[in-house]
Amino acid sequence: MADPRKPETSESEASPELGDLSNRLKDLSARIAAEKSDQSAARRPSNRYDGAKDYSKGYRLASEFVAGVLVGGLIGYGLDYLVGTLPLFLIVFLFLGFGAGLLNMSRAANRSQPTAEELRKMTPPNADDEEED
Amino acid sequence: MANDPIHQFQIQDLTGSFNLGGYDISFTNSALFMGATVTVITAFLWLASRKAELVPGRVQSVGELWYGMIDNMVNNVLGHDGKKFFPLVFSLFSFVLVANMLGMFPYFFTVTSHVIVTASLALFVVALVVVVGIYKHGLGWFKLFVPSGVPLAILPFISLIEIISFLSRPISLGLRLFGNMLAGHIVLKVFAGFVVSLGALGIGGILGAIAPLAMAVALTALEFLVAFLQAFVFAILTCVYLNDALHTHH
Repeated sequence: MADPRKPETSESEASPELGDLSNRLKDLSARIAAEKSDQSAARRPSNRYDGAKDYSKGYRLASEFVAGVLVGGLIGYGLDYLVGTLPLFLIVFLFLGFGAGLLNMSRAANRSQPTAEELRKMTPPNADDEEED
Repeated sequence: MANDPIHQFQIQDLTGSFNLGGYDISFTNSALFMGATVTVITAFLWLASRKAELVPGRVQSVGELWYGMIDNMVNNVLGHDGKKFFPLVFSLFSFVLVANMLGMFPYFFTVTSHVIVTASLALFVVALVVVVGIYKHGLGWFKLFVPSGVPLAILPFISLIEIISFLSRPISLGLRLFGNMLAGHIVLKVFAGFVVSLGALGIGGILGAIAPLAMAVALTALEFLVAFLQAFVFAILTCVYLNDALHTHH
């Protein structure tokens, strides 16, 4: 970046009306460099999708929870249907499903966020030592 | 009516109804778009790999990006011995992605907006997880439901919760994709419907229709993103669940 500017600077020192221009050019390229380092630090493109990512993460957690309660309710209702004690198992398993939903949700939240960016940084899991159990 | 936001999800027989052994196997618009999805994927990947060059052209580099993304995902989540699941994950991702994207065309049917489709995909994934887990670890795989270090008194309770938690996987996997596509398309249709109804009211209505029109445009963009993200999430959760089966840790 610096090289093509060199001859121009020396030229502008000779002609005073270009001196202002060359200063502005220097100023501009300094600002561009600063902006560029800012961009790479803040990882611009990922910011644009943050809203949708949060939306999908929120939806994910909600569906984990709802699925737990639903499955609990279904199992309870199925047991009641078989045994004929309608509200009993439904209530018990709804509570168990509530617990399972919370468990699901906390597991999903603790899991690393599924973005390509983070996946690339993740080291591949060491498979060999856990194989034999 | 065309203004009905649910109308777009109606299943229609295209060829009249066929019955086989009591099952209705008629060719519906859903089946048509599933076929279209597979055709689009096959045609695109054929085009992308037809004449492979060292310096890829436009189509080839999209194909390579597509392949590379899933390859990367499978490698990172499943490790080296997960390579054999690559075709499965790639097919699942491609099917969901292209079905979602085809659904974004006006008047097209969205295959993934029907819970039976997404639930079948999810059930297939979880059934595979069970089969792989038992194949890999034998009956010891069931220790997944009996966490270690839990007092004996509450162990049955915890096991029940673990079992419900495991059973809820296919539901949350299928429900999420279905819910996102259904809700997104309904909301789009509702906002687009506002524009039409307001526009019929004369000049004041047309001015008032600007806001829902802007909303519909923004939502369309969001829907494209959601279509991709949900396909991605579906694929990555498939990998995560398969990883649990391959490398069970207690």
